[in-house]
Amino acid sequence: MLLAASLEILLRTNDVPAYLLPPPSAVWQALLRYGSELTRATLQTAIAATSGLLASAVIGGLSAVLLSAHPWIRRAFYPYAVFFQTVPIVAIAPMLVIWFGYGLKAIIAAAFIVSVFPIIANTLTGLLSTDPALRDLFRIYRASPLTTLLKLHIPSAVPHFLTGLRIASGLAVIGAIVGEFVADTFQDGGGIGTAVEIAIKEQKTDKVFAAVLMASLLGLGFFAVVNGLSQWALRRWRIAEISE
Amino acid sequence: MRIILTRIILASLLAFLAACSDQSESPSQPGLWKAGLQLNWVPEPEFGGYYAARDAAAFQAEGLEIDIRPGGPGVPGLQMVAANQVEFGITSADSLLVARARGADLVAIFALYQTFPEGIMVHAERGLKSIAEVFNGGTLAMEPGTPYYRMLERRYGLKQVRAVPYSNNLGPFLHDPSFAQQCFITAEPIAARRAGATPQVFPISEIGYNPYSGVIFTRRQLLAEHPERVAAFIRAVRGGWQAYLADPEPTNQAMHRLNPTMDPATFTEAAALQKPLILGDSSPARPLGTMELERWRTLAEQLRDLGLIERVEPEQAFVNPE
Repeated sequence: MLLAASLEILLRTNDVPAYLLPPPSAVWQALLRYGSELTRATLQTAIAATSGLLASAVIGGLSAVLLSAHPWIRRAFYPYAVFFQTVPIVAIAPMLVIWFGYGLKAIIAAAFIVSVFPIIANTLTGLLSTDPALRDLFRIYRASPLTTLLKLHIPSAVPHFLTGLRIASGLAVIGAIVGEFVADTFQDGGGIGTAVEIAIKEQKTDKVFAAVLMASLLGLGFFAVVNGLSQWALRRWRIAEISE
Repeated sequence: MRIILTRIILASLLAFLAACSDQSESPSQPGLWKAGLQLNWVPEPEFGGYYAARDAAAFQAEGLEIDIRPGGPGVPGLQMVAANQVEFGITSADSLLVARARGADLVAIFALYQTFPEGIMVHAERGLKSIAEVFNGGTLAMEPGTPYYRMLERRYGLKQVRAVPYSNNLGPFLHDPSFAQQCFITAEPIAARRAGATPQVFPISEIGYNPYSGVIFTRRQLLAEHPERVAAFIRAVRGGWQAYLADPEPTNQAMHRLNPTMDPATFTEAAALQKPLILGDSSPARPLGTMELERWRTLAEQLRDLGLIERVEPEQAFVNPE
């Protein structure tokens, strides 16, 4: 609130025209005026971002387990995972249209590509950094590799996985918006990325910022959900640990 | 997240203010008036006259030193001129009227294209007879939010066509025979034909939407303070265009060096294609760049009906080159 107020004062005293940088009050009014339109667009983007994030969680988590199995597998396949992190999504997005066609699939793919790497990297770190003493304990009891994986490595990687998921949640929103820039089908309105494009073309700077604000609210919502999920999951994990 | 966003806005605001003060403090050399012309695309025949004027030293002859700055997708020319980061920009008449409605006091001073150079490109095999039939099916790639997109949407509806974003990539068009897209009449159709397709083009001007395009604009304040400089600039520009229309080849070669991705044959073809769009069909022919109040009024009324601007005041929007 303080920041918004000082920005408002700064803009008004310096006479910065609203078409260059709208004051927070104008953005607020735009939020009210275009609220229903932007909410509908944001929900549409949320569907794509959620799907992309879920795909990242499942595929990223499983990939990390596979990569943790042996150093040779890591050497062979980890570079491909790194590729997903370094791929410039803006450059590859037009290719997604060729591969998946216009519409939801290509947008989900864009959200997946930018959000999968932090999940792989964090989960893998968790899987590989289990307590050596516990590892020795499992060896002494001659636990099978599967048991060791399920009862030791995976549980100890859960906090790392959730950290990865937290990073990925914001990225999935960005990925979905970039995907919409090239692949959205907007005869029925389109997502928040298309709303931003339209507002830019119509030179409604206040609406651009209102749409960006909605996108960041979506990211914030994702973050809150993942945070809640992680508190719930980690509590269960600790109880399980104590009861054993 | 909100705090971060606010910080980003603050940082960019400070950067912007710094950029503003840099510009206004830059010293102008004695004798020549230094100014910039911000293009809205990379060097192509649509800017041939400006490069022709530069290469013939026509700007110096008028006491000017003009820096021609190539643009690209997303270069905010209207905002840059309004914020006094550059003196002259190029846009279309509709964008200029919308920018004026948002509070930027910009004025058109020269209109290159008398006919709107945008169109809808389809595959000729579809045998479509009119622009209306484009909306009966298939996929249509357009920039959402442009005034003519709104116009087409309102007139023909998007019930039966799948609307997708326009990109500068011809791949989807070449890939799919039922794909249609917006195009710059002198650009994409040539490239599509080169790639083996048989494109057919419906000019947007056919539906009665015909804003001036390739419009040079500046701030009203600059025009009021230095009318003689602006007039000198327009004289050089008009001379450059006359030279380019008479013989585009030397300038095409110079522009090809700046933009090697466009091959010399395409430069030649596009330069020939745009000629009727520039000369217009008025007889007797009026001087290059001249604009009519009635056309600005029609456009302003169309934009008002589309809900993009509130007031129709076309006489404020342009000043004809003398």
